[in-house]
Amino acid sequence: MPLVLVSILLPIVAGALLVLLPRGDRVLSRAIGTVVAAITFGTVLAAGTSEWSARWLSRPFESAFHFGATPISYWIALLLALCTACAVAACRVERTRDFVALLLALEGTMLGLFLARDLLVFALFWDLMLVPVFFALVGWGEHPATAWRYFIYNFAGGLTLLLATAAFGIIYGSTDVIGSGGAPLAGGWAPWIYAGFAFAFLVKTPVWPLHTWMPPTYSGLPSPMVSVVSGVQSKAGLYGFLVIGTALLPAYVHQYATPLMVLAGISLIYGAVVALTQNDAKRIVAYSSLSHLGLIIIAIASANPLALDGALVYIVAHGLFSAALFLLLGYVEEREGTRGLPRLGGLAWMNPRLGGALCIAALAALGLPGLAGFAGELLILIGVYQAGYVWPVVVALVAIVLASAYMLRLYQDIMNGPQREDLPIRADLTWLEGLAVAPLLAALLLVGVFPKPLLVNAAITSAQSGTLR
Amino acid sequence: MSVPINDYVTLASVIFFIGVVGVIVRRNPLIMLMSVELMFNAANLLLIAYARLWLHNVGHIFAFIVITVAAAEAAIGLAIVVTTFRPEKYVDVDDIRRLHG
Amino acid sequence: MGDVGMTHHVLGVAGSYPMLLALWLLPLAGAVICWAFGPQLRAMAGWLVSALVGASFVLAVLSWHDGTQSVAGASGANQPLFSWMPGFDFGLLLDPLSLLWTFIITGVGFLIVFYSIGYMQGDRAFARFFAYMSFFVFAMLTLVLSDNFIGLLVGWGLVGLASYFLIGFWFERPSAVAAARKAFVINVVGDVGVMFAIFVIVAHVHSIGFGDTFAATGTLSAAVVLTICIALFIGAAAKSAQVPLHTWLPDAMEGPTPVSALIHAATMVTAGVYLIARCAPLWNASHEAQLVVGTVGGLTALLGAILGTAQWDIKRILAYSTMSQIGYMIMGVGTGAYEAGIAQFFTHAFFKAQLFLGAGLVIHALSDEQDIRRMGGLWKKMPFAFWVMLTGVLSITGVPGFSGFFSKDEVIYGALQHGHPWLDAIGIVTAGITAYYMFRLLFVAFLGEYRGEAPVHTGGAGSWIMNVPVAILVVPSVAIGGALLFGGDASPWAHFFAPLFAAQAHLAAAQTPAPAISENLTSVIVVIVVAIGFAIAWQRYATATAQRNAVDRLRTEAERMPAVLTNLFYFDAAIDAIFVRPSQALGRFFGHVFDPRILDGAVREIVVTVGGLGTLVRSLQTGLLRAYALILVFGAACFIAYYAIAGAAH
Repeated sequence: MPLVLVSILLPIVAGALLVLLPRGDRVLSRAIGTVVAAITFGTVLAAGTSEWSARWLSRPFESAFHFGATPISYWIALLLALCTACAVAACRVERTRDFVALLLALEGTMLGLFLARDLLVFALFWDLMLVPVFFALVGWGEHPATAWRYFIYNFAGGLTLLLATAAFGIIYGSTDVIGSGGAPLAGGWAPWIYAGFAFAFLVKTPVWPLHTWMPPTYSGLPSPMVSVVSGVQSKAGLYGFLVIGTALLPAYVHQYATPLMVLAGISLIYGAVVALTQNDAKRIVAYSSLSHLGLIIIAIASANPLALDGALVYIVAHGLFSAALFLLLGYVEEREGTRGLPRLGGLAWMNPRLGGALCIAALAALGLPGLAGFAGELLILIGVYQAGYVWPVVVALVAIVLASAYMLRLYQDIMNGPQREDLPIRADLTWLEGLAVAPLLAALLLVGVFPKPLLVNAAITSAQSGTLR
Repeated sequence: MSVPINDYVTLASVIFFIGVVGVIVRRNPLIMLMSVELMFNAANLLLIAYARLWLHNVGHIFAFIVITVAAAEAAIGLAIVVTTFRPEKYVDVDDIRRLHG
Repeated sequence: MGDVGMTHHVLGVAGSYPMLLALWLLPLAGAVICWAFGPQLRAMAGWLVSALVGASFVLAVLSWHDGTQSVAGASGANQPLFSWMPGFDFGLLLDPLSLLWTFIITGVGFLIVFYSIGYMQGDRAFARFFAYMSFFVFAMLTLVLSDNFIGLLVGWGLVGLASYFLIGFWFERPSAVAAARKAFVINVVGDVGVMFAIFVIVAHVHSIGFGDTFAATGTLSAAVVLTICIALFIGAAAKSAQVPLHTWLPDAMEGPTPVSALIHAATMVTAGVYLIARCAPLWNASHEAQLVVGTVGGLTALLGAILGTAQWDIKRILAYSTMSQIGYMIMGVGTGAYEAGIAQFFTHAFFKAQLFLGAGLVIHALSDEQDIRRMGGLWKKMPFAFWVMLTGVLSITGVPGFSGFFSKDEVIYGALQHGHPWLDAIGIVTAGITAYYMFRLLFVAFLGEYRGEAPVHTGGAGSWIMNVPVAILVVPSVAIGGALLFGGDASPWAHFFAPLFAAQAHLAAAQTPAPAISENLTSVIVVIVVAIGFAIAWQRYATATAQRNAVDRLRTEAERMPAVLTNLFYFDAAIDAIFVRPSQALGRFFGHVFDPRILDGAVREIVVTVGGLGTLVRSLQTGLLRAYALILVFGAACFIAYYAIAGAAH
């Protein structure tokens, strides 16, 4: 069996087989889940950019179950496998067995999405990946309305994606086009097709004003799941913009660059100022995501090769630090029973390791030089400026200043200050808990210092498809 | 010499309209079912007439299908009427509004 | 990026310099070791970091030849590192400018780290402190040794981080936490300025290297150069506490005193001076930028000095004096008198470190008392600290013969020489105010009778650890100015920097007419003004009448202090009102009103509308079977009518 297929099916099948374990099992399901996720990471790594394909439809347009990493999706798939492995290892929720199964299903469906080389398969997995999150929100979330809100928003996006895909297939004759640099689409229907794709991607990312499903979803989900959702699932839209928008409909990305940048610019500032005043730690990170991902949208809209390179670096960087932040905030909540900043404080005295890890993650989020976030930000903004857009750069710089304010507030209000009398005193990170976040933090440093491997590819891909014209 | 097709069409139309008016104005479900049967048969008459006119037996086949469906429909319809009105003394479809919006 | 066939201009002589690499990386090793094995190392951490920073200093001295070599017009050593991204090549550059900074960072750094072994004794996070200090030295070396703007920016951000950690070192104090956050955020404003300059440079020069940029300066339009300079200066202003981005520096005194000495006096806060001196070719190409920077520098010097007269906390007085002295440096490098501005940095590093460490001796002995109103008469109890502070004060105020005299003189005269008589006047006035507030500090804290309640602990077993570094610092702060700076253009100083700035200096001198008054006359004026400042301080705090009822007099002075001074010219209030509170209000409005009410409200409206439509359609479902039949017939009739009419029309 080809490795690409193994990496998609293994987590789904293994997750389904977990029901063979006893219902109340905690340890074994987590161990198996971690091993499966680690093996998946290995197979993604080993599969490289190899491909596998089987014909699906020949009428009304050609379509195939065609899987295989593109240079862009290779890194995102690795990020996904890494985040899932860490999330499963850090998983400590009720009904562990079922939760781990959902996490693995999420990994499999999302790998299907990122490795799909066919638009129809992409659209199929786009909807499938909503299902595990929906069930997690129903079963483990704080309010069932959140689950429906998540599902309806994203399913509406999935619907326009499917319509756009169908229209694309009928006009172009084939949907087997992702990463092959197929001929750019033009003609009377093309703007509508672009609009359909763009709506789905903007909801998923999300971008202001389509973001209101996101803060309750991120704060409602248990930490391990939200670290994967915010770390990787939110990148599905950005990935779509890169491989579908930029590569297949470049003229329209260019034509509608300004409205896209305006929305992204509003997201940047909006997310940042809201994060400045929220008291729920997870909501702060949620709104910071709104702000940070706006930067990537700006990069994509600018269509500058350097900015697109930076976009991939920042996609990976954001995945790493938001996953780490959510996992660590999960540890905090688990220890103290709250994630409200006014009720927390002084944890660093008793939890120096937890404090240090949270500090690194927060610093990466605020763009400290030497960590991954900085490399992405810098490249993106250099490229956007080079493309001649000055005001988005200025907006992004303001957002960077605000990011330093809210990220330090998050870190300091939890870790610094006098020790609180009313908080229970808990032990520092155990070695297992530490091991679950260590790979994420190490990767942040590695990507920050040596971002080079992530770079060439996006430039090549976009050059092949003639992005700039 | 056969009967001209116009006569068949006129007869079928008359029967069909009797059926339609029956369904709309009568309140007894049994009469309504019978009116429906009238409409079916009007259609059957047309099918057979045209089959003969055009010397094509698809019309016959359709007529058989309609008869079968009509039989099934009558069976189900009567069953519904019986179960619905078993406790009542009089049968009147206007008393049954349980499915209103 | 990476245009094929483009010639690359690299500053310095490219080659392999293992000593340079080692002196850069040793402090990083120290930081990592102390961070990872802190609990095991305990007290050894201090000795380890001292040894590593000291070794860095020795290597810097041994690199003297590498740093000053000059081959075919390229001066200094360039060690290529690795390519960060295609077209972004990192390397280390050791030329006279970075060599000088390296000396101060590792040399003064070594003395201060050594001093800290005594100062931080018994602190519960002893090893963590030294990890941060070592990390700071590494970050600062990265800043000054980079041969490109991104490397500089990396160092720029990392020193800000080290400063953040050390200001908030005692993180159980809410005031320290707030001060650390404020310092970091304002420094990020500066980082963002440097970033913007990098965007402009890359867009126009297609390189991040200093060499390429300076070589291409001539081809850039005046507006572009001005943009780059102003953006860089935003960075310099935030890092070097220039008006209006200075408010973090006084608050930064929440950190332990050795931190104030190393980061917030001797090295990090002078990074702005380094940046401008490094980018001298850019500033030389833009007269407007020079004017802006020189003016802001002069203004900062004056404001810092004025605010220094109104403080009672010994460290805050020194903080405002640091701000004022950096104002001098920025004024020097801003107006084009690069050697003078750098000289001011050089002597300031010694005497200000000495003053802070001297203050640290006092604070340590008085159990963390920092208010000079509760000191007094300490010259009898702590004669060593008194002599240290005295020589430091004499040097900073510019008493002839001391180091500070020579450098300050050069800056003030340099402003005049480059055609800025107003800045020259500001410099002279500031010198007088400096004399007043520094002697005020000395007199109130050390003369008269002891007014405090805390017992004075002096001596003790480890006190030599703290005394020796201070004693060593006295030597350069008294004598190094005379040794290096005496003799104007013929001095060793001018000779040392000749390869970097000489050509530009001649160019500037040729354009500007000779000033009306000579250098010697300026010196005399400065000395007279300083004497006046001293006399006022003496009159108010040192005479017998002033000391008789010192407690009452000081209380009256504090009560009568003008509001504009106690509120520090309302800079904090203005920043709060213009930036902080509006963005918080906006965040609260967006988060609590706009998101739930308007955005979610709009979505809810859609839901309600759809529901309403449903109700409307539902009313058609009467449940009357015969009504359905009627509607059905009516529909069929419509169809038939349509086709009948359409057929007829056809």
